[in-house]
Amino acid sequence: MRSLFTLEPSGSIVASTAESFIWWGWIGDHLDDIWQRTVEHLVLTAIAIVVGFVISALLAALAIRLRWTYGPITIIGSLLYTIPSLALFALLIPITGLGLVTAEIALVSYTILILVRNIVSGMDGVPPEVREAADAMGYRPGRRLLRVELPLALPAIIAGLRIATVTVIGLVTVTALIGNGGYGAFINDGLSRDFSTPIVVGTVLSVVLAVLADLAFAMLERLLTPWNRGSSSGRGVS
Amino acid sequence: MEPRIFERAGRVMSVASEVIELLSTNETWTGPRGLLARSQSHLWISLVASFMAATIALPTAIWLAHQRRAPIASVAIVNIARAVPSFALIALVFPISLRFGFGLGFWPTCVALVALGIPPMFANTYAGVAGTSDDMIEAARGIGMRELDVLRQVELPTALPLIMNGVRVSIVQIVATATLGAIVGYECLGSFIVSGLARGRSGQASVIVGGLFVAALALLIDAILGTLASRSGRRSTQI
Amino acid sequence: MPASSESIAIRLNAVSKTFPGAAAPAVTALDLEIPEGNIVALVGPSGCGKTTTLKMINRLIEPTSGSIEVLGQPQEAVPAYELRRRIGYVIQQVGLFPHQTIRRNVGTVPELLGWDRAEIDQRVEELVELVGLDAATLDRYPPELSGGQRQRVGVARALAADPPILLMDEPYSAVDPVVRERLQDELLDLQSKVGKTIVLVTHDIDEAIRLADRTAILDVGGILRQYDTSENLLRHPASPFVASFLGRERGLRRLALRTVNDIVPMRGPALSSTDGIELAVSIMADHATSWVAIVDADRLIGWVDAKSIAAASNGTLLGALPIEPFVSRVAPQTPLREALDTILTSSSRIACIVDDHDHFVGMITIDQLAEGLE
Repeated sequence: MRSLFTLEPSGSIVASTAESFIWWGWIGDHLDDIWQRTVEHLVLTAIAIVVGFVISALLAALAIRLRWTYGPITIIGSLLYTIPSLALFALLIPITGLGLVTAEIALVSYTILILVRNIVSGMDGVPPEVREAADAMGYRPGRRLLRVELPLALPAIIAGLRIATVTVIGLVTVTALIGNGGYGAFINDGLSRDFSTPIVVGTVLSVVLAVLADLAFAMLERLLTPWNRGSSSGRGVS
Repeated sequence: MEPRIFERAGRVMSVASEVIELLSTNETWTGPRGLLARSQSHLWISLVASFMAATIALPTAIWLAHQRRAPIASVAIVNIARAVPSFALIALVFPISLRFGFGLGFWPTCVALVALGIPPMFANTYAGVAGTSDDMIEAARGIGMRELDVLRQVELPTALPLIMNGVRVSIVQIVATATLGAIVGYECLGSFIVSGLARGRSGQASVIVGGLFVAALALLIDAILGTLASRSGRRSTQI
Repeated sequence: MPASSESIAIRLNAVSKTFPGAAAPAVTALDLEIPEGNIVALVGPSGCGKTTTLKMINRLIEPTSGSIEVLGQPQEAVPAYELRRRIGYVIQQVGLFPHQTIRRNVGTVPELLGWDRAEIDQRVEELVELVGLDAATLDRYPPELSGGQRQRVGVARALAADPPILLMDEPYSAVDPVVRERLQDELLDLQSKVGKTIVLVTHDIDEAIRLADRTAILDVGGILRQYDTSENLLRHPASPFVASFLGRERGLRRLALRTVNDIVPMRGPALSSTDGIELAVSIMADHATSWVAIVDADRLIGWVDAKSIAAASNGTLLGALPIEPFVSRVAPQTPLREALDTILTSSSRIACIVDDHDHFVGMITIDQLAEGLE
């Protein structure tokens, strides 16, 4: 275990700097830990997104039904979003203690704003004449929602999920300060011991995870919305 | 189950009373570790970081957007930037800072905050300037405006709302994330939280106080910038 | 008034609609009978409630008072969605589902009715052909099609489950005039094949006159001012309002309702190339023209100028003189309004009627057109 404060007698500053940052041996020794933290990070993220989505869907449904609630909901959502994550944890601790629940409550509240906004925006984006046509064809409201409105709102909804997921993956690292952490645990560990390897590992892994999640949602969108692929290139003659 | 709720409520009450006690103590406010001092340093680092981020992001974005260059890169920057957690950023810069003798506290936090603040400013500014209708620009050139004039009188006014929005988002994010600076030793409002967490149960009131003030500060800044933005927005639509 | 022998497809009894918060009713105590197999147009200025009335037929809007009978049954006899599955609906913006292929769009109602896959596919292919679209469009998505194509898909979708009634709300307003005329022709053609009861809302009086068997003219507030055939409306407008809505060119519009076929043509100054110039001179005097048309074996060859005839020596046959091609022609199926245009722009003020097989039928003058209006 090298200390950062040891002066390296040989090599250029760049080389020794690079050396002292990533001690590859450490990675080899901690593969189990890495795996465990990966799972933890994924679980924390997944819970936050799923719960956040369910709550946001309900709020969005309310906001669509009773238009006047959209304003207040957005205001509360953006309030929650603006409060720094550490502060939110701080305020929750006396009520829910240190642990999973506190972390999840805070993580979920960060997703509300973006998800509600995107779900409502997606539903609003359905052209009114499409809704009218669906009614006129004889669609009942439930089936119309399922077969017409939701598919058309899907791109916006997935875009929201994408942003929310990437945000949450980043925020999960902060939960390390109150006992969970996922990859944040490595970062925290490295900070407290002045050891840069776990910091770098934690950072890189969390970025990789975020990028993978982003790509996964991008692919999901392409898969679920085949009608968006062919743009109006085939402008035929009438 | 019931006794636990009572237990919890009891705990909340006692913490609440501790908070009130803390807030009524003079020392909490004044002094080098007081709320006023730490708020000041919190705002100071946010200001410095915002200023630096703006100095880097705005001219670059304006210049690139005016030339209509590198559109893909600008989108990619935002996406990647969003993926890097701010906590990690601070943690990463910390050892580098130590290595090169910049010490703890201010510089690692500041560099990380600058890196955090650049993407929203850059993306919004780029989008704003590049989004100016090509027809308008062509017309402006047609009546004999020089490139600088086109920029000043056509592109920037139209882009202003978006630029202000980007700056606002950046500043709020910077103020919020400055809290984490406490982890690497910067004395700011986050320090109440970090030191409180380290002390466990006895530090809970401190944690709450820190949390409340940071939250209030972030919301206040957001509200102020919001009204500023909408007021300038109104002016700019009077073209 | 509709003939009592026709059965009534849609009957509106004192139907009124006042929207919540509105000062005045959108539709006021409207009585209307729409006979089966007819195209009925609802026209009027904006605010006359024509679209509201249309939407009350398929219950997209519910009447505030009064009742509507559809095919002999009161509207409320079945749930709204069931009623709508039996009524076709076409709107200006079409409203195709962008996330579904044309095939699925057209098959919407059959799918809702529970037809099986094979039946739906067959019907969809039939319809696409019927509305004049290429089978290749079936697997495309609505954003890939042009405006005219989308309109046609809209009609196909409305007809998919073979509903007896078709409602159309300004279906051609969003398309450019050239395409519009073609689509209108196609509708008439379609109607001759399928014979639906069609209710058409339009703000274009010419479209109504062209397409509808009967037209209802509505005033602001949904008040019915006149309901009659196009011919009767134009001939006997019931009030100054109707007259001004129909516009000043009522005579010309009535001309649009008739074709050359409806006029008895005259032979006119037509001779064969084997006739002599002396005959030509007397014919020209009879008809007061400065030319003769040359028709051989029922084929219009052209015309010969009076000057050439005067310059020729006695005994010359017309066939020996220079013959110019006869430009102003009309066909038997040409609407009279178009024929008028041809006549006016010709130097001779006469048009020759030539049918599809190139046979000369006769000639037509402005006087004869005017007589056709009697």
